[in-house]
Amino acid sequence: MALVELDNVTKTYMNHVSVHALRGVTLSLQPGSFAAVAGPSGSGKTTLLNVVGALDQPDAGSVRIGGVDLTTTPPDQLADFRLRHIGFVFQAYNLLPVLTALENLEFIPALQGESKEKRIRRAEELLRTVGLSDIRDKRPNELSGGQQQRVAVLRAILTEPEVVLADEPTANLDSTNASLLLDMMEELNREKRITFLFSTHDPLVMERARRLIRLRDGEVVSDENRDGSAAGVKP
Amino acid sequence: MLFFNMAWRNVWRNRRRSLLTVMAISLGLGFNIFMRAIGDGFHEQMVDNSVRSHIGHLEVHRAGYHDDPGINKTLPNPEEIGRAIQSLPDLRGYSLRVLGDGLASTAENSAGVAIVGIDPTMERKVTTINRGIVRGEYLREGEVRPILIGERLAVNLKAGLGDKVVLLVQAADGSMGANLFRVVGIFRSGAPELDSGMAFILRQDAQELFSLQNRVTEATILLNSSRAVPASQQDLQSKLAGKGVEVLTWYQVEPFLLQFIQLDDAFFYIIVIFFFVVISIGILNTIMMSVFERVREFGVMMALGTKPRQIIKLVVEEAFVLALVGALIGSAIGISASLYFATEGMNLSSWAEGAAALGMTSTMVYTRLTAANVVISNLSVLAVVVLVGLYPAMHASRLRPVEAIRHV
Repeated sequence: MALVELDNVTKTYMNHVSVHALRGVTLSLQPGSFAAVAGPSGSGKTTLLNVVGALDQPDAGSVRIGGVDLTTTPPDQLADFRLRHIGFVFQAYNLLPVLTALENLEFIPALQGESKEKRIRRAEELLRTVGLSDIRDKRPNELSGGQQQRVAVLRAILTEPEVVLADEPTANLDSTNASLLLDMMEELNREKRITFLFSTHDPLVMERARRLIRLRDGEVVSDENRDGSAAGVKP
Repeated sequence: MLFFNMAWRNVWRNRRRSLLTVMAISLGLGFNIFMRAIGDGFHEQMVDNSVRSHIGHLEVHRAGYHDDPGINKTLPNPEEIGRAIQSLPDLRGYSLRVLGDGLASTAENSAGVAIVGIDPTMERKVTTINRGIVRGEYLREGEVRPILIGERLAVNLKAGLGDKVVLLVQAADGSMGANLFRVVGIFRSGAPELDSGMAFILRQDAQELFSLQNRVTEATILLNSSRAVPASQQDLQSKLAGKGVEVLTWYQVEPFLLQFIQLDDAFFYIIVIFFFVVISIGILNTIMMSVFERVREFGVMMALGTKPRQIIKLVVEEAFVLALVGALIGSAIGISASLYFATEGMNLSSWAEGAAALGMTSTMVYTRLTAANVVISNLSVLAVVVLVGLYPAMHASRLRPVEAIRHV
């Protein structure tokens, strides 16, 4: 059974002119996917991630994660759904600036009501696993971009959500840091079976993704599966 | 706790702005506590001056005397009343008096006066007239018809120490009573109506003058504290029930004093409200700016699963942190200033005449700091700041994460 299912999703932004961000997108992701959505600016990548991440609602069609239809979920329950089922990694890292690296990792488990002792233990363990223990008490402004983005990824996966959505995660990183980040995400995907869906321009990410979905003008123009399994595009 | 830590650190992200806001809260609260302490001290002194100058905390008369006084309305069975008074737990002293009106004349002049017949030993425990003697001495038992008059009355009558004063009254039996008195002392109470229109004589002289035999017209009672007034009044009323007497508090005897205090309090609260409004605008500005600067951060928090009510809680906690720090410093300022002037006093000699008109016998005002003042002032500030914080908090909670994340 697919973890993420989009069925004929349409989204149009009305400004001075109407922009068709998504035009009948239909696709699905299996659990444990490591997929990238690529395409030029304005192709609808970020909008796609937003509707999958329950940050935005499509005008038509349905979005399901783990069988839950997000388009019919009441808005006040969407925050809770995001908290428990979806992890986010943003292009600009977006760590909370007043919290240390360790506290940033604690943030989501704290929202989930996990005990302080338990969440600190988990966060410390995760930092140790990826060799970032020495930055645990540093605030974001004391970290390099690469370190910040790795902490952001750890924050997203600490509570082991069903799917992690990463919007251009390597866009602000040099190739070395981008590669390190992808190594880490690949390892987490492999070991914890967490599904990753990226939006990207970065050829490195496209190269490493096991599935590459290309968008143009809000439509899926290709869906390439590199691990031999069936792609999730519906006819 | 993580959220409170965030709130604390968020507040100090813009240290200068937060410190200015804290300073505004501190000064506002400190000023509020101090002004309230001045008001409380001033009111207490006014009441104390009035109480100690002549009216006491409680007065006992024959029923109906207060509304329609008359020399005939004497206290029935003063010994029994005295025993009831002596059983009051908060009693400091009491005095049995004869109070009547008459005309005081010297060779030079004459003036209407309130004549108070007192037992000097009892009276000393109740009033402070004995401390206001500016010339001569207080009344003493055994002297031949001594009289103590106010400083202004002495001027009006052109009477000095040792001079003769004739008191002419209508006695209780309807006859005219007249007697010759000799001035033994001149007092200054600070209260104009007392200094210009009151004369003290010995009680037995007054009883003779008014043909009252052993009767008295009032019992004046001083308690250990004005806070004991309501309970003592109730106690005495129940003990003297059915005896045909009335037990009145100082604020029933001189209601204008209480009305003045209430009016003064009302003006004070208007000023306080004005201060709170000014402070609130400052705090609102600080928190609004803080929220607008962090739109993207709120967007991220909401995307990660923070609920709107948790965003409201965070922003309100930030307001609370500002208020708490401001309240601590403001309380320290207000309490220190109030305690200092409670012992050192504030010299109001520049407004001596105005103070005297309000019954103040001293130009020094001593602040009075109460726990209620500090607690109510602090709670008011905390409540106002938290309420003010709600508006920006609601604004932050209504952001759409998808738009807020892209906010520059």
